[in-house]
Amino acid sequence: MDTKTYIESGIIESYVLGLADSTEVSELEMLCAQYPDIKQALDDFERQIENHAFSGEVTPPADLKHKLMLALADEFEPEAENNNAKNRLTAIPGFDTADTDTIKLQGNSFWKYMAAASVILLVASGVFNYVQYNKLQSATTKYEALLTERNSLQASNGIFETRLNDFQKSVAIMENPDVLKVDLPGIKGKENNHATVYWDNKTKDVYFLSAKMDKIPEDKQYQLWAIVDGKPVNAGLITDCDGLCKLENIPRAELFAVTLEPKGGSKSPTLSDMYVAGAVLKQS
Amino acid sequence: MTEIQKYTEAELVGLLKERRQSAFSYLYDNYSGALYNVVLAIVPDRDIASDVLQEVFVKIWKQCESYDSSKGRLFTWMMNIARNASIDMLRSKGYQNSQQNRELKETVYDSAGSTATNTDRIGLRKVVHTLKDDYKILIELSYFEGFTQDEISKMLNIPLGTVKTRLRNALLQLRELVKN
Repeated sequence: MDTKTYIESGIIESYVLGLADSTEVSELEMLCAQYPDIKQALDDFERQIENHAFSGEVTPPADLKHKLMLALADEFEPEAENNNAKNRLTAIPGFDTADTDTIKLQGNSFWKYMAAASVILLVASGVFNYVQYNKLQSATTKYEALLTERNSLQASNGIFETRLNDFQKSVAIMENPDVLKVDLPGIKGKENNHATVYWDNKTKDVYFLSAKMDKIPEDKQYQLWAIVDGKPVNAGLITDCDGLCKLENIPRAELFAVTLEPKGGSKSPTLSDMYVAGAVLKQS
Repeated sequence: MTEIQKYTEAELVGLLKERRQSAFSYLYDNYSGALYNVVLAIVPDRDIASDVLQEVFVKIWKQCESYDSSKGRLFTWMMNIARNASIDMLRSKGYQNSQQNRELKETVYDSAGSTATNTDRIGLRKVVHTLKDDYKILIELSYFEGFTQDEISKMLNIPLGTVKTRLRNALLQLRELVKN
């Protein structure tokens, strides 16, 4: 075989630089075993590339070796336990026992570093956990406070909504052209009181608006009376309501009056405790 | 190398296969600089390259059983591990994202599409860039960027046979430059 042509073909260089395909690789490996000059040419180029890489050596970051030693720590065979290895090491020229001791010490201090690092990590993680736990606690408390606040806001919003609806209904009743307005001014001695009755001509429902009435004791209650053919008829008890209070249905009345009665109301009015009264003005 | 070689390659390989920490330590001390050079030629960013180098040493350690001295020198074997790991890094998503802007800028000025600027080219790449353009681009794409000859033939629209012969001629020229 013409080994010279083969050597000058560039296959050896492809092989060394990892650019040869699998056929070229197995061919070259086979030829190397057969032809010493091909093997020699291969070895020469390998050395050239190697020398070139060494001539441009770049020192890696200082901590890289330490990182590697840590990463592979579990994989190293213990140096001291194997006497064979020790003998082998001492047998190597220029590599005396002092060196093997250094290696042993390096191994020990390596584990010391590992242990120290673990303790530091453990403490750091403890502190971290504690801080995070406290943060979580305070966040939970704040969250619960916010939740309560939100609920109470929602509740008061509900109250306002109901009141607004009541007022809207009241306004609708007042604006209804079928509704008759009956003014009830304060009678003699109770001039500072004033109320209004709205009376629906169609449905005959009576609504009461206590514009301005004296405060009364807990055990007392105002009661509205309709005077029909000169006789008082119960028109309903006045409770705390927003806007208009819907009371009884009164088909006919000449007069409306409010008296103060014991809580729960009376069958007939206590005339001495009358507060306001007003006549129904017939609509034309 | 300023350090006096204490082990022959065969001794070192034997001790590595016995999983000796001292052998690994020796290997690192003696070869890390040259292998870092190999990685940096492909991955110019020093931080990323040192991550690659760490991976390379782990691979060397894990795969040293598979090293067969009859097929070539230890350094050649390690250099190929380093090159493969570097190219894997080039192709990783994270690296590509980090280099995207840079590469866009570079390709405008550099026909070879290399991510290294002239000043930070290192080792073998520096030598390759003294070759003529036809040769330079083939070694760039195959050795430094890891494309197959088939892929290169399609990329450059040159017949596969031409890629093969031209690449081999380029490598012979490179050999002459590396000799000195």
